[in-house]
Amino acid sequence: MLRYVRVDTEADLLDALRKDGARLLSGGTDLIVKMRSGLVQPKSLVDPAAVPELRGIETAGGDLRIGAATPLAEILASREVGERAPLLADVLRVLGCVQIRNRGTLGGNLANASPAADSAIPLLLYEATLEVVGEGGTRSVPVDGFFLGPGRTVLERGEYIRAVHIPASRQDWITFFHKVGRRRALTIAIASVGGLAAFSRGSVAEVRLAAGSVAPIPLRLRSAEERLAGRALDEEAVQRAGALAAEEVSPIDDVRATARYRREVTRDLVARFLAQAAGA
Amino acid sequence: MKVRFTVNGRAATVEADAEMRLLDALRDELHLTGTKEGCGEGECGACTVLLDGRPVNSCLVLAAQAEGRDVLTIEGLAAGPQLHPIQQAFVDAGAAQCGFCTPGFVMSTYALLRDHPAPSDEEILTALEGNLCRCTGYVKIVDAVRRAAERLAEARAQETA
Repeated sequence: MLRYVRVDTEADLLDALRKDGARLLSGGTDLIVKMRSGLVQPKSLVDPAAVPELRGIETAGGDLRIGAATPLAEILASREVGERAPLLADVLRVLGCVQIRNRGTLGGNLANASPAADSAIPLLLYEATLEVVGEGGTRSVPVDGFFLGPGRTVLERGEYIRAVHIPASRQDWITFFHKVGRRRALTIAIASVGGLAAFSRGSVAEVRLAAGSVAPIPLRLRSAEERLAGRALDEEAVQRAGALAAEEVSPIDDVRATARYRREVTRDLVARFLAQAAGA
Repeated sequence: MKVRFTVNGRAATVEADAEMRLLDALRDELHLTGTKEGCGEGECGACTVLLDGRPVNSCLVLAAQAEGRDVLTIEGLAAGPQLHPIQQAFVDAGAAQCGFCTPGFVMSTYALLRDHPAPSDEEILTALEGNLCRCTGYVKIVDAVRRAAERLAEARAQETA
């Protein structure tokens, strides 16, 4: 018999999550679907909606702290997020739909660990870290390193994400996010690419690239990034980076698209971003 | 467990197990069958209701999660036999064919026009992005939203006049 447990404090949350078969239920936009299709069969659902430490958006120093159970719509409406992490706002604007954004949360989108998790892309690019809480205390986990595979993360039994920290970064980023799917809203991406780039005297000062739905986890495209550092973005560099990105991903054939198509889309989106950035 | 919440301005109590969704509580326990179940997985928006004023898919909210909260369903819009101006606009624009998706569209429109009384086309499309219609298409639906916005504006102007 499934139990529903609403907790008010982090102590109660930890306690409830320790029990056999306990699952944290936040917005429910993934978990309720998985439960009803029989993919997961929890014994209890632990709802942290009333735990204040998991809610809200704060700025501390240059950092942005977003409570893991803050609804996506609230994050999207936040002026601080728009100013300090504009690419996160751009991505949330096309994540799910109004109804999903009113329920879904950043912590949920990450813990669900879909290879297509849209919010992972800007968080990888901004080099965000997660405040992970367990019986042993609190640890800081970089988003790059959090995912292990589809539906799998480094979260151990009884652990939960308290908050997402986005460190201050340069203000002169040129930003990019594009996902390819079959419908404008509610699309599970066939492939997505995000990027941040900054220039100094016509050369790349810094560039960060990430892709979703083209590997078991959302990932940074490091070899393409390394290739671009310090270079002028001419046609040859753009094409070369696109080709490196296409080699770096490991997509599969599935109901949404073929692996080959996903590689091509990755290459083209990386090249599109770089060409736009060079012309900006 | 007993779950207490407000539906369309009235207190409601539902005996719910942990698997019961808000959608089930509304339809099966409270007999508010205007809210429809389409896909049951958050893709179609037919089950859209407002939870504390915000559109949500009631198929993705557990009844237990509605404890202490305020729910508005399609039944809460009309004043007796008098349709709400948004409902009348959908009728007048011919924005329904089979009608199954209509309650969800009307609820999304209600939230949109409350927050943006004179929405741009882009704002209309964004507000309705989580609602699918599989028969009539979206031209008449968007037309209905525009008509509703105009009528609500007229009604406000008359009130202040």
